[in-house]
Amino acid sequence: MAKSRSVVRANKLLVGYGGAPVCAPVSFNLPEGRALALVGANGAGKSTVLRAVIGLIEPAGGSLTVLGAEPDERDVEFRAKVSSVLDDDAYFPGLTVAEHLYLTARGHGMLGARELVAELLEEFGLAEHAASLPTALSSGQRRRLLLAAGFVRPRSLLVLDEPEQRLDLRMRADLADRLNAEKEAGGTVLMATHDAVLVRAVADRAVYVDDSSSPLLKADEAAARIEAEPS
Amino acid sequence: MSHDEDERYDESRWQDEAEWHDEPEASVGRDGWPAVAEADLGEVPGSSSIRRYTKEAAKQRAGAKIGTLLSDVYYAGIILAIGVSVAAGVAGSLRSSLPEVSYADGVGVSLPALVGVLVGALVATLVSLAGRLGPVGAGGAEAAWWLGLPVDRRGLLRPAARRLPLVALAIGGVVVALLDGGLLGDQGDRVVRAGIAGALLAALVVLGMAAAQTLGSTRRAGALTGDLLLVAVPVAMGVLAWVGVTPEHLPVPSWPVLGAIAALAVALAWFTDSRLGRIRGASLRESGSVAAQAVGAMVSMDSRELGRALSDGAAPAARRWVSRLRTVRGPVSALVTADLVLLRRSVRHLVQVVLAIAIPVLATVVPQLSGQVPVLMAVLIGGYVAASASAEGSRRAEMAPILDRLLPLDPKTARRARMMVPGMVMTVWSLVVFAAIGRWLGDPLGWLALALPGVLAWAAAAVRAAYRPAPDWSSTLVSTPFGALPTGVGAVLARGPDIVVLGLLPTWIALVLGHVTQVLVMAQVLTALIAVMVASSTSTKTFTERMLDAQKEADEQRKAAQAQAGRR
Repeated sequence: MAKSRSVVRANKLLVGYGGAPVCAPVSFNLPEGRALALVGANGAGKSTVLRAVIGLIEPAGGSLTVLGAEPDERDVEFRAKVSSVLDDDAYFPGLTVAEHLYLTARGHGMLGARELVAELLEEFGLAEHAASLPTALSSGQRRRLLLAAGFVRPRSLLVLDEPEQRLDLRMRADLADRLNAEKEAGGTVLMATHDAVLVRAVADRAVYVDDSSSPLLKADEAAARIEAEPS
Repeated sequence: MSHDEDERYDESRWQDEAEWHDEPEASVGRDGWPAVAEADLGEVPGSSSIRRYTKEAAKQRAGAKIGTLLSDVYYAGIILAIGVSVAAGVAGSLRSSLPEVSYADGVGVSLPALVGVLVGALVATLVSLAGRLGPVGAGGAEAAWWLGLPVDRRGLLRPAARRLPLVALAIGGVVVALLDGGLLGDQGDRVVRAGIAGALLAALVVLGMAAAQTLGSTRRAGALTGDLLLVAVPVAMGVLAWVGVTPEHLPVPSWPVLGAIAALAVALAWFTDSRLGRIRGASLRESGSVAAQAVGAMVSMDSRELGRALSDGAAPAARRWVSRLRTVRGPVSALVTADLVLLRRSVRHLVQVVLAIAIPVLATVVPQLSGQVPVLMAVLIGGYVAASASAEGSRRAEMAPILDRLLPLDPKTARRARMMVPGMVMTVWSLVVFAAIGRWLGDPLGWLALALPGVLAWAAAAVRAAYRPAPDWSSTLVSTPFGALPTGVGAVLARGPDIVVLGLLPTWIALVLGHVTQVLVMAQVLTALIAVMVASSTSTKTFTERMLDAQKEADEQRKAAQAQAGRR
């Protein structure tokens, strides 16, 4: 099998706030067309690693390259190719659900944005709420809107922070299918998650983020660790 | 630490998992990475199109009509006019009440010099404020839905970047014109030039902070710079008093100099605009979040929330040292120690205390301000600022009473314990300020005897203000010169200041009289004790509401008794 390029390469990456690392150094390569999960306890530093990958914080140590260069969200090309879904539960008060997605699609220059938005609204179970304001949605529906926004635009790397949050079992299964389709289309996925089922279904490898060590694991091992954690 | 071992563990996996751990490649840059859904890509619209789309879509379902907009503009204009008129009146009456002083008589600091220092303090405050606010930011929705788009961010950020400099321009112009025309009595061309200079200076300060933000300066650095400048202001005043600088007029720039300053402001605005795209997303998000919190606090008239908005984001994310909390001996000392640590870690509040000491002390050494009323006003303002600065623990506890609930303390004891730190700070403040007043009016021991019981009243006022409930915004609206406000807002906002006025009444009387009597000292002890009792109360209702409740309860009891008697 030909070696594929690393979409994300972290070598002894240290992340944290105010110069203080929040977890042990993290090392991994994420090849093109594959999915890597970051797993670990609450507060272990998974989201902080993701924030470093999408350029929202600077690494406190080690090295990190994303799409062949240091992550810099000020770079237009970087923003064009890295799609991220964090827990940004903020919306324009005057824009409907469909308009938020249309804004994202058109803002990225997508052709046929209206059809694409309609398709994603259907897929994420939001078609009935297309004309609703996000403030009228339930927390789970708002989460689905954020996820749909991650797919309504072009991307080389999809970064998801606990995408399973506030989704029912059916929607989680659909999301797993969606992410596998993403990989098949050549997309790369990096996600932080607590969901063992999602890790088994989607991830090719996982990094167990912890304050003493952050080893790279096979997906089954990582899922077993999640299941062994006290809930 | 076992990091080395862990890395060896990782290294062994690297050898096994070639695909996941291949050799580093030369940096290939962002080009050449295929994207999912790339085939559907067309031209990316301009940032102005994004802004326009967001605005137009929102406008379609906006409830406000042109009449509402005009009405809002009208009210804003009226409020502004009232505010400026009141300020001009106060400045004018203050000027007419100031004594005439001959600058040849070895005066330490003249009034124009004091106004100059005041302008310096306003500039320092603006630096601190602009630093804490960003000043360029993108709020929640803008950060979430705009910042990720592959468009030139300058176009998206331009309106936000213009907002604060323009507000500073307007306020700076009005304030400096009021100080020059109102307090110093200048007229005509001089006032116009002073106003324009003030406006340009304020805009320059904010633009300078924005330029620093584009160069990577943090909000904490901006806030710290402003705080240090604020501390430098009373120091500068002391130096001026020592040296004896007594200009008879505030130096006002000529028209050519104003033109040069305006050109500088334009150049700085252009420089900042050209670099807006270089501001990191994290900085924009933080600034936008702080600005939204601050605006929300102002709209809801919550000074505590405003303080939190301006403090929290500028605090360091991690501490270099951890307090050992050695003074903790029990629940009360734990509460007091926690409040002390909070105060010690807040540079902003420590700066406020220093300034609050300087204000009344300076009022006693500037001959034109050394009248009973100006000194009383300075003591009132300085004291309230110092007391408020020392009550951060209470304000936090009102929002999230975590420590209060964890410790085995009843609410009244907790409130009394929370008066300890304001009490300590106000003891220092009172010793310095009333020693200066004693030096000015004579009888320093008498003034200190009056000041010490007053410490209790200051502490009580600070805690009462910190624990005040939020106004009930659902109650009936009343039309006021400042727009429609719910009934009871005044009573809520007066909690704290009411104790300053009433609990320190003997002190105010002594300051007006110009001397201390034994009766006033005794009265001060009494009113201070009453103030502590009032501030210890956990009732959130006003005195009138409690009276009405008591009346209602008595009526119900009477009716019940009558009904019982009727049945018999």
